[in-house]
Amino acid sequence: MAQAALTIDGLSVDFEGFKAVNGVSMIVEDGELRVLLGANGAGKTTLMDLISGKTKSTGGRVFVHDTEITNWEEHKIARAGIGRKFQIPSVFKELTVRRNLEVASCKNPGVFANLGFGFSAKAKIDEVLELIGLTEEAGQVAAYLSHGQTQWLELGLLITQDPKIILLDEPTAGMTQAETHKTSLIVNNLKGRHTIIVVEHDMAFVREIAERITVLHLGQVLAEGSVAEIENDPKVRAAYLGSKGIT
Amino acid sequence: MMSKRRIDWAIYAAFIVLIMLVPLIMDSFWLNRLAKYLVFGMLGIAVALSWGYAGILNLGQGLFFGAGAYMLAMSLKLASSTSLQQGSDKPVPDFMLWNAEPGAKTELCCINKASFLWLPFQSQWFGVAMGLILPVAIAFVLGSIVFRKRIAGVFVSIITLALVLLVRLVMIDAQPVTNGFNGLTDLGWFKLGGFEFDPYVVPTYYLIAVSLSVVLIAARLLVETRAGVILQAIRDDQNRARYLGFDVPAYQTFFFAVSALIAGFAGMLYVIVSEFASPTFMDLSFSITMVVWAAVGGRASILGACIGAILINMISATVSETEGFAEAWKAIIGLIFVLVVLYMPRGIAGLAHDLIDRFITRRPSTPAPAVRVNDPSSQPAE
Ligand SMILES: Nc1ncnc2c1ncn2[C@@H]1O[C@H](COP(=O)(O)OP(=O)(O)OP(=O)(O)O)[C@@H](O)[C@H]1O
Ligand SMILES: [Mg+2]
Repeated sequence: MAQAALTIDGLSVDFEGFKAVNGVSMIVEDGELRVLLGANGAGKTTLMDLISGKTKSTGGRVFVHDTEITNWEEHKIARAGIGRKFQIPSVFKELTVRRNLEVASCKNPGVFANLGFGFSAKAKIDEVLELIGLTEEAGQVAAYLSHGQTQWLELGLLITQDPKIILLDEPTAGMTQAETHKTSLIVNNLKGRHTIIVVEHDMAFVREIAERITVLHLGQVLAEGSVAEIENDPKVRAAYLGSKGIT
Repeated sequence: MMSKRRIDWAIYAAFIVLIMLVPLIMDSFWLNRLAKYLVFGMLGIAVALSWGYAGILNLGQGLFFGAGAYMLAMSLKLASSTSLQQGSDKPVPDFMLWNAEPGAKTELCCINKASFLWLPFQSQWFGVAMGLILPVAIAFVLGSIVFRKRIAGVFVSIITLALVLLVRLVMIDAQPVTNGFNGLTDLGWFKLGGFEFDPYVVPTYYLIAVSLSVVLIAARLLVETRAGVILQAIRDDQNRARYLGFDVPAYQTFFFAVSALIAGFAGMLYVIVSEFASPTFMDLSFSITMVVWAAVGGRASILGACIGAILINMISATVSETEGFAEAWKAIIGLIFVLVVLYMPRGIAGLAHDLIDRFITRRPSTPAPAVRVNDPSSQPAE
């Protein structure tokens, strides 16, 4: 059996009485691509917030391989091997595309270790630029990029950062069909090299990338299985989209 | 083709050569004035570093300037002949004697309750060391608290503003040791080896000009290091940087402290050329004026902010000599500030960069992206 990359054990958060995530447990294996599904407000983003340290949990534990990272500071969780893409794309707007990636390539977290000049990851960065299709825009300031390009640049930041585990929150939000397809190619390219957890609503996209799916409902795990199993699960049909099932 | 970075450095070099040549054409009165403006240029650099590069709008930079100034002024006060005229062979500041309780021992140790604080300042180098250490220590403590608590944007400005006003009040209130409103005047001259820096001689001008050149180059190199680039990334999106694994408050605190160090150093140099230190250094209006200099010169450019400070002061000095124009000038400065913030957020440096772009590419440069008032808008390291 493959090793667990991310283990979540009974994770909960209580927002003054409201349990946005309520006892979620799941194991994501090394190199797996897991899709998180769930209606609006199901707790998907909150779950990612808990894993990445943005929100402090009120119960349960999180492990990266054998290291417990529950409620660590965000930058320490990042250094432990978890990278995250936000629902609203965020990049360094005043820096050029290449500079953005250079910052992400920097392996030293501290100030004093970085008082030297030059980033030494040119080959890796060129490769990432190629993968996210921004080679021509490398010298441009990120503020000039289109919405889709900004999303790809943020993906590129993650790829350059090279964490073991990548959390993607709606990477195709606001994208055209063509852009969505290109994004699925990028994500598929990462499969196997990283352990990936993706929140997505777009079922076409999910079918292009998914292996296993976990469905969240009202802060709890409702079902887990392959695409076909989930699509035919009556509980999911009932809870998720009324009686229509997943479309 | 000459790279933009090369051109940038050429402009830095030209600026340094220019300030080195000025003594050839200026008389000692103007040279002393210009030396003060060069000190203000150094303050422009400090503001650019924290506002333009770190995105921290410090409205209390005068606190660090004042701290540096008072620390050296204490030493220079004890070195002044006015501290030795009172029949004692050990120096005691004249204002302490004027206010001494009848019968108090007229020595620094015990002329009043807090006068012992002055004892180590009998060494000029203690004053110099404190002038650098104190601003950095204040900035470090303040930054550690504020940035760890993730206080950002306008709240940092309000905290720094409140702090400078508070310290100003305390300084005025602590009259027995600070001489209150009047500040420290009649100072002695700064000594280096056997040389005394009379504020009106050419070597004193060079002390300032060389100091400014060193700070200018060091600051520019600093923002080009990896840490400097990461700092700009943090300015653009703190959270993104945090989730890439950077210890954001450590970066902010470090650069905040460097900015304080530069301001403190400027404060010391100002004392050398002006021969006084006063609570007006910690007036809110002075700290805000520094921000205006940097905005006009270009807050996202180290040299731009420096030149902005020097230019505005030179123009002010010229204009205020014209009868009846002095008051109007204040209004004009205010107006220029508003116009620059609204229409020229990258200041003079931004204008210069656009011209250079046009020159080397021979086609119109891409327009600057729409910027919000609170955001630095150009990326000079490119
Ligand atoms: N800080 C908070 N305080 C109180 N309630 C919160 C907080 N953060 C999230 N919630 C609530 O928790 C629930 C889950 O939100 P979450 O953003 O995780 O949903 P989601 O599954 O990502 O939905 P969407 O598909 O809309 O992105 C929502 O009802 C939300 O209002
Ligand atoms: Mg969400």
